[in-house]
Amino acid sequence: MDKSLQKTEQEEIESKRKVYREAKEQTRKNARRLRFDESNPQPKKDSVDSPRKRFYRQRAHSNPFSDHRLDYPKSPESMDWSKYYPQYHDKESNNMLQDVEIADIGCGYGGLLINLSKEFPKTLCLGMEIRVQVTQYVEDRIIALREQNKSKDINYQNIAVIRGNAMKFLPNFFKKSQLSKMFFCFPDPHFKQRKHKARIITNTLLSEYAYALKVGGIIYTITDVEDLHNWMVEHLTEHPLFERLDKQWEDQDKCVEIMYNSTEEGQKVERNKGDKFIACFRRLPDPEI
Amino acid sequence: MKHPYQNIVSTSTHLFVSVQNHLQAFDVEGNLVGSWKDTIGHEDLLKKQQLEKIEKLNQEPEIKRAENNKKVKIPKIPTPGPGAPTIYNYIRDLELTHDNKYLIGITDSDKSIIIFEINLNEDNCLKLIKRQTFPKRPCSISIADDNSTVIIGDKFGDVYKIPIIGENVPEKDLKPILGHVSLLTDVLITEHNGKQYILSSDRDEHIKVSNYPITYVVKHWLFGHDEFISSMVQFDFDRELLVTGGGDDYIYLWNWYGNKLLSKYPLRDLIEPLLDESHLPPERFLHEDSPKEISVVKMITMDKFVVVLFQKVNGLLVLEIKDETLHLVELFPLDYPLIDISAGGDKIFGLSEDKIITQFTFNGKLTIDDKEFKGMIENNPCEVQSKEEFYPLYTMNTLRKRSEH
Ligand SMILES: C[S@@+](CC[C@H](N)C(=O)[O-])C[C@H]1O[C@@H](n2cnc3c(N)ncnc32)[C@H](O)[C@@H]1O
Repeated sequence: MDKSLQKTEQEEIESKRKVYREAKEQTRKNARRLRFDESNPQPKKDSVDSPRKRFYRQRAHSNPFSDHRLDYPKSPESMDWSKYYPQYHDKESNNMLQDVEIADIGCGYGGLLINLSKEFPKTLCLGMEIRVQVTQYVEDRIIALREQNKSKDINYQNIAVIRGNAMKFLPNFFKKSQLSKMFFCFPDPHFKQRKHKARIITNTLLSEYAYALKVGGIIYTITDVEDLHNWMVEHLTEHPLFERLDKQWEDQDKCVEIMYNSTEEGQKVERNKGDKFIACFRRLPDPEI
Repeated sequence: MKHPYQNIVSTSTHLFVSVQNHLQAFDVEGNLVGSWKDTIGHEDLLKKQQLEKIEKLNQEPEIKRAENNKKVKIPKIPTPGPGAPTIYNYIRDLELTHDNKYLIGITDSDKSIIIFEINLNEDNCLKLIKRQTFPKRPCSISIADDNSTVIIGDKFGDVYKIPIIGENVPEKDLKPILGHVSLLTDVLITEHNGKQYILSSDRDEHIKVSNYPITYVVKHWLFGHDEFISSMVQFDFDRELLVTGGGDDYIYLWNWYGNKLLSKYPLRDLIEPLLDESHLPPERFLHEDSPKEISVVKMITMDKFVVVLFQKVNGLLVLEIKDETLHLVELFPLDYPLIDISAGGDKIFGLSEDKIITQFTFNGKLTIDDKEFKGMIENNPCEVQSKEEFYPLYTMNTLRKRSEH
């Protein structure tokens, strides 16, 4: 194809993407405002359609060590969750009625969250994702689902997404023993030896995850990369605060089933007929100190 | 001209200083009593890495090599490009064991911890007994109460422990005992009711309290800083207290064990008049209303007092703790900024470009002693042509996180 033609086409796509995303941004802003002021005019019908993924492309990898420009609370106590779960916020006392209990770390396009919402409609679930546009996609997806399911039992008010670097700032969001489940679905593999410290499961990070998890809480992992699976199993097994759950347990656990099928990455692996490796670990009590 | 000394630790009788890749020991009269030069340069590290690669290639089984149908390529020693940052063969962050028997430092050249036995009866009181290399550059050290173990934090957030005496650990067998996903700025091992804890601070405003030796059980985080933390210090009289400072406009006082911020001492009004153009953010981050930035370089405690060194500020701040609050004692004016400070007995020693070393007496207030350390000036082995050749002396502010707009 002619180079210049290619270029204009490229530009056209870009500008379309831009217009689309600007409209969505307006919807997000409205939705945020709406959460406080319900008398606001309803957003136009077409702007709350489910978002289209192709408008939210982003580079596949993000460096967990870099600064970015992240918004994160100064401490878990100073986190304002009311913006994320307005229906679980008591206006009178200005308190949250519940805390977040399930975290999907590196949630990608949010498929797991949506299925968790159906399985645990009364539990607050949070997706944490480092890529901005991917996070915006999930946010738009939740806005649309909430809008489309307003009067239904399952209304998606219990799920939300936050842009954040879970490896650095998890302790800013969650108090000690706050979480009952943490999901690590198809984490970035960081193949090179030199990059292993960038992996989201390391001995030292596990101590921080253990802090956020209740005793008895579960870490779920799934990946299609066998080497990464072995790595996660090795590190979790080595860690004194975790104990592996057996196949029998996996077979009867509802979340294992959900995790197996519902994430976008998992579906991609399915289409490519790849393997999926699962490992789940329970948080053990702290030893006598 | 001489290159200024960069790091100092002291006892009531001796000073240990580093200048470039040299380490020297002086008595308080300024007589040289020990010295050591790091003969390993950064080139040696690169050479070592190359040798390791060749070794690995040679170990690859013949068959595999044949399979790959490749000739064994001998890796070249990488030469840094023109834009690459200069690597300095520093010795940085000196510490003494609590019994003053060992001196511990960090080398940049091969990313190692160097440990010296101090024997004042020898002609050269510094005897290197250990050089332990690390995968990433160590950047802070703390010594356990029993003087047997060093806790080391590295540039990528991992914390290790190594024994002072005994064999080196092969680098690949070093396992971090805890970690941050951030640049580690300080580590401190402390004690409460007979139990030990490690406090670790980073560039991302975190102070983590972990149990020790069971470091995988995190006790809690101390939240409250808005900027990087550079220095954490304690008082001997009450080890439940912790003083922290860094890039914020406040010095923080905590009950670290109870996870309670007790008070914040405001610095802005007091320090602002002593700031100049050099405290503004770098050009590309500068706006019209950018404030001049205050950076704590180091703090030392003496009795109930905290002495605070700021980056490029002509003065030392002295605070006193009373009723869980820090109070101003004085902002002691100086004619030049200090690079590093250390306390020994009732003396404080300050390094500078202008005067090489200044001795203060502290008895609730600071006074400058009329004392010249001629020996130190004469024996400084690092001759340079101009200030341009100085190693970076004031770098604390580079820890500040910035974003372009
Ligand atoms: C391969 S994707 C898997 C996404 C999703 N869990 C799924 O299964 O479809 C991994 C995701 O983790 C995100 N991620 C990587 N490091 C992260 C971090 N430190 N904090 C939050 N998210 C992270 C990446 O941006 C990416 O979207």
